[in-house]
Amino acid sequence: MANFNIDAQKDLTYDAIVIGSGISGGWAAKELCEKGLKTLVLERGRLVEHVVDYPTMNLDPWDMALRGGLTPEEKRKHYKGIRSGFIGKDTEHFHANDEENPYTEVKPFLWVRAHQMGGRSILWGKQTYRWSDLDFEANARDGHGVDWPIRYKDIAPWYTYVEKFAGISGEPLGLPQLPDSHFLPPMELNCVEKHLKERIEKLYPGRNLIIGRCAHLTVPHNGRGQCQYRNRCSRGCPYGAYFSSNAATLPAANATGNLTIRPFSIVQSIIYDDAKGKATGVRIIDAETNEAIDYSARIIFCNASTLSTTQILLNSRSSRFENGLGNDSGELGHNLMDHTYRIGAMGRVEGFEDKYYKGRRPNGIYIPRYVNIDEATKSDKFLRGFGFQGGAGRAGVMNAANEEAFGAALKEQLLQPGPWEFFITGFAECLPYHDNKVALNADVTDKWGQPTLAIDCEYKENEMALNRQIQADAVEMLEKCGVKEVVGFNNHHEPGYGIHEMGTARMGRDPKTSVLNAFNQVHAARNVFVTDGACMTSSSCVNPSLTYMAITARAADHAVSELNKLNI
Amino acid sequence: MNRRNALRNTGLLVGASALTPSLLALFQSCQSKPRLEWQPLFLTEDEARFVTAFVDTLLPATDTPGGLDVKVDIFLDKVFAEAYDAEAQQQVREDIAAFNAEATRQSGAPFADLKAEDRAAVFRTAEANSGKFNGQVWGTAVGVQEPVGFYRSLKLMALSAYLSSEVVGTQVLRYDPVPGGYDGCLPLGPEERIWSL
Repeated sequence: MANFNIDAQKDLTYDAIVIGSGISGGWAAKELCEKGLKTLVLERGRLVEHVVDYPTMNLDPWDMALRGGLTPEEKRKHYKGIRSGFIGKDTEHFHANDEENPYTEVKPFLWVRAHQMGGRSILWGKQTYRWSDLDFEANARDGHGVDWPIRYKDIAPWYTYVEKFAGISGEPLGLPQLPDSHFLPPMELNCVEKHLKERIEKLYPGRNLIIGRCAHLTVPHNGRGQCQYRNRCSRGCPYGAYFSSNAATLPAANATGNLTIRPFSIVQSIIYDDAKGKATGVRIIDAETNEAIDYSARIIFCNASTLSTTQILLNSRSSRFENGLGNDSGELGHNLMDHTYRIGAMGRVEGFEDKYYKGRRPNGIYIPRYVNIDEATKSDKFLRGFGFQGGAGRAGVMNAANEEAFGAALKEQLLQPGPWEFFITGFAECLPYHDNKVALNADVTDKWGQPTLAIDCEYKENEMALNRQIQADAVEMLEKCGVKEVVGFNNHHEPGYGIHEMGTARMGRDPKTSVLNAFNQVHAARNVFVTDGACMTSSSCVNPSLTYMAITARAADHAVSELNKLNI
Repeated sequence: MNRRNALRNTGLLVGASALTPSLLALFQSCQSKPRLEWQPLFLTEDEARFVTAFVDTLLPATDTPGGLDVKVDIFLDKVFAEAYDAEAQQQVREDIAAFNAEATRQSGAPFADLKAEDRAAVFRTAEANSGKFNGQVWGTAVGVQEPVGFYRSLKLMALSAYLSSEVVGTQVLRYDPVPGGYDGCLPLGPEERIWSL
């Protein structure tokens, strides 16, 4: 299919440069190309063409050496990312090489990175929820961080716009704190989840248990196939049934004829022209030849992922910006956020022993936020809130291993479904703290001699209070609903585990306290746009990727409008 | 004699055409220990005999294939050889030695040399003395996972290797690589097996 144009040799000048090809970079590329701009996408890693470059997508366990296990050499290559629990032989090739790309944990921080075309859009969890004014007004309401320069009404049409292209399945509920998307048909709850939905919604007015809203197609959509329920998503989907840059936005960008994508392009810095008062291009290092090359463009979109974008901005120093491009406020690199998670409860559900399921659904249940959404639900223990993800299924091999049995009796148990289990795990909002930050570290360089990041971030008392409430509520809900052997857990980890890192180049109303304006333009370099997670002013408690998509499409529209008016 | 031994003996006969069956039987009976029929990558001969005996006791052939039929023992050796670092490999050797020492204390011989009822007694003791795995959410144990000990760990590895073998995955379990849809409330008969994958 795609036949991407990767020849960036003959032309060093473009209308637009997009740094990064992940979930937001793919959107920037699509929007800018479709609006007629000759666009160069710079990708740090290799090309990954949809389907063609998904080597493990159809492998069964017995097809893989070590049935999916990793060798000590492979574990060393991912010595930081491995603790996420998400790296196996089936996906190892989509996770960054930590040995070549070190970073420093001033305080413990897990930074999961994916250095190839498509970035983490290949690997993401695909839960997709709109944010609401509960989120966009949060900072203004309680005084933490700075006020978002936008409100829900500004972004709502852009949510609709990206949802119509991406394909989001889910059920409309009309909840003010979790606005409905433009939905494809929802996936199905299993019978135990349906049972617990009834119990929770009866026992707890104001709480809902719903099927996850997700970027999986439940019907064919825009030339992509529907989900086949294999649950092998993070290997790349041969049907294109979940949204990724590779399956959706980059092929659309390519179809315009305006796209050039340059792999193995490590962005060293953005070039700023003091006289012109704007950025004029991007300097890269070719990852294979170490050659330095400058590309020029009228506008630059930064979509390298939250921390990588900020790393590039910090490394883009000029006489005008001695501390990094756009860092007049001193906020560049600060206010790093993530979501706490792995706190919740699990237990066993009785009465459904004669029920099973068919298909491996790549989705679970969601319990939307129900605290601090109005005066009646206000907590005196913490600010902001949390939601739960979870699901029900029948126990498998771990349960059999725990049985005090062996021999023929054990085999019988092993080959039949175990008890039904149900779990929920919370995702809590993290406040923006100035001292949760990243800085350039010239003492540790990457394979290409570039300074790396030192990450200095921790959760604080408000997040701990949220975590305590999550566990207490999870245990209580399960016990009241009749779940047996309920175990509460707090496997709270250092930030980064949520893989929802946000902030460090925040949007705001005032250039003195923020890096970006309401359209994601660097205040003092208006032809530079930041539309990945770095731009986020607060963190909400819901998954951020859909918001990155909407913000990116909105900013691209504004960028082209401003170009046409000769304002940038 | 289980089906695997039948296959083994057939294979041995093919490779030993000079020996008559009766001579072969005599030859085998003279050996103090049953010969290992595969070449371990990591384990010593005695350690491999332990793993084979462990797998056979845990997952004997019944109306479904046994662990040895689907080469669980050979796969575990491969895991120790290729997925373990030097420290973990050393730990495996020590754990096997300790398990055999306990078998000798209880029943007078290393595990592989025990009769079926003595192996069962050793397993019952190991069951009683082993910890349990915590529940898991998205592949990660919830709460503080206390060490479960060598027996429980090797048991889980063996069960996982059994389920992830091609024969079990495609012929014993219900194999449906492309389900095509989701049914969240499928009736389950008393004898029906789990899905593969």
